[in-house]
Amino acid sequence: MEFLRALETSGFSVWVRESGSLWSFPGILLVHTYGMGILVGLILAIDLSILGFVPALPLAPLRKFFPLIWTAFWLNAITGTMLLVADATTKLTNPDFGVKMVFIVLAVINQRMIQRRLFRGDGSPLPAGAKALAMMSIVCWLGAITAGRLLAYVGGVTK
Amino acid sequence: MLEVLENTAHVHLLLNHVPTIGFGIALLLFLAGLGAKSDVLKRTSLVMFFVVSVVAIATYVSGSAAEAVLVGTGRTDFPPGVSPAVIRAHEDAALLAFASMEVTGFFAWLALWQWRRVKTLPGWNLPIVLVLALVTFGLMARAAERGGRINHPELRADGLKQGDVIRSFNGQPVADADSLRALTAAAQPGSAASVGVIREGQPRTVTIAIVDPEGVMKRATRTSEAASLGVRMIEPLTQELAAQFGLKPGAEGLLVAQVYEQGAQGPAETGTTRAIGLWVTSVTWVWPTAETLHFVGLCMLFMVVVIVDLRMLGMIRSVPYSAVYQLLPIGMLGFGLNLITGMLFFIGVPAQYVKNIVFYWKMVFVVLGGLNLLYFMLMDQAWSVGPGEDAPFSAKVAAASAIFIWAAVLFCGHMLPFIGNSF
Repeated sequence: MEFLRALETSGFSVWVRESGSLWSFPGILLVHTYGMGILVGLILAIDLSILGFVPALPLAPLRKFFPLIWTAFWLNAITGTMLLVADATTKLTNPDFGVKMVFIVLAVINQRMIQRRLFRGDGSPLPAGAKALAMMSIVCWLGAITAGRLLAYVGGVTK
Repeated sequence: MLEVLENTAHVHLLLNHVPTIGFGIALLLFLAGLGAKSDVLKRTSLVMFFVVSVVAIATYVSGSAAEAVLVGTGRTDFPPGVSPAVIRAHEDAALLAFASMEVTGFFAWLALWQWRRVKTLPGWNLPIVLVLALVTFGLMARAAERGGRINHPELRADGLKQGDVIRSFNGQPVADADSLRALTAAAQPGSAASVGVIREGQPRTVTIAIVDPEGVMKRATRTSEAASLGVRMIEPLTQELAAQFGLKPGAEGLLVAQVYEQGAQGPAETGTTRAIGLWVTSVTWVWPTAETLHFVGLCMLFMVVVIVDLRMLGMIRSVPYSAVYQLLPIGMLGFGLNLITGMLFFIGVPAQYVKNIVFYWKMVFVVLGGLNLLYFMLMDQAWSVGPGEDAPFSAKVAAASAIFIWAAVLFCGHMLPFIGNSF
């Protein structure tokens, strides 16, 4: 708790929370939201394609979006950490934050499995379990979004 | 800022004409197209239905701004003759017409989308559009007629005042509470009624809007006839009451004993729209759930914007445009989800948005986004981009604009609390 308080009272955290600058809290959260739209949007497209909702769209070329997906992911990891440090004592002790992290860890593992198993590039048909991976992906990302949004409402709420 | 608000009332009066006139023309073209079996006419009208339904979003929210000017938040003096009850009646009618129009616009868009893919207008869709368009047109005429009452003095309601003694209703003499109850029960909610009263010793006729007594207000009203007339309490006139209100001894009739305080409660809080607003703001999980769904809709919309527009700009070039085109309905569903949840926020706390300049920018970008989408729906330059082909310059410009527009929509939505004054 001492450590969390130290984080929260650091110059950076105070700037994020209290400077009132559009570059601080609003700007960081804005980047986090753009990152979410790109990350989850592109992954949902892959999932829906695996599930057969977009028959005209071939799955293989979507691998070109992997770099964009992971760029958005790391952008959100960084901006997420910034937002977390600024409210360390409330956010890090909020069980809902743990729920969000579990969803994200599962979603990331799941996404790596999708990339390894379903994008072999040899034109082989999708293996058994492909649809289960896609559904798991949808559940985990929507779970992460829900848990993330609810951080503002459950547990220790700062604002 | 006040200047902006004064202008938005005028903007609403101007924007009004797009859905009312535009939709009417679209409906005529559609009927003509069905009659003449002309695909060109049918398609033109479908495009018009879609455009009108997009502009209607801005029209609807500008209406709340106009209301803020006329009724005001925390304002106690109404401009002469403007009655909150009449405005609320218009608001409810407008919300219904708006919802119906958005559904019509969606099905019109879906028909256009199908037409591109299968080169013919889908037979199952057009009857749906026809029925929806006719219903919407009726609802819109109703909303427009009620809106007209707000600024046409001869139709304007001026309401009852405390101490008025009711003597007649729509020309029928009112003997007692029972006869008034029968007369108000027969009147249509939202319609105008003339009530003959004795006010300050003088007989006069006031015009009021009949309120739906089953609405929210009934809880705060003692009787249904009082609820219908938009006041809190009506009582048979007794000697005691006559003395209390300074009326002539021996006066007869029904006394308007109590009216609503202007402002927080009373007529200004009646009607379906306000009931929805109350539900959004007072039931615990509605707001967070709607916010979460708003984010999910955002992801669906961004999926399509990123994939379709980056394809046009040169990524995944092996994929033909016709393949990414199949994603468009997912984006449209995401937009629909966000329109519904967004309207819930707006109806819940309109005051947060109508005074917020960023919100107006957001509406401008949403309309631009709808117009931009038409390029990708209608233009052969986009449609003819085959596997491995580079998109033409116009498609690249449209794609770059789309990315900018939707990024701006998100930017404005996100900045509502930080640049503006929301939340």
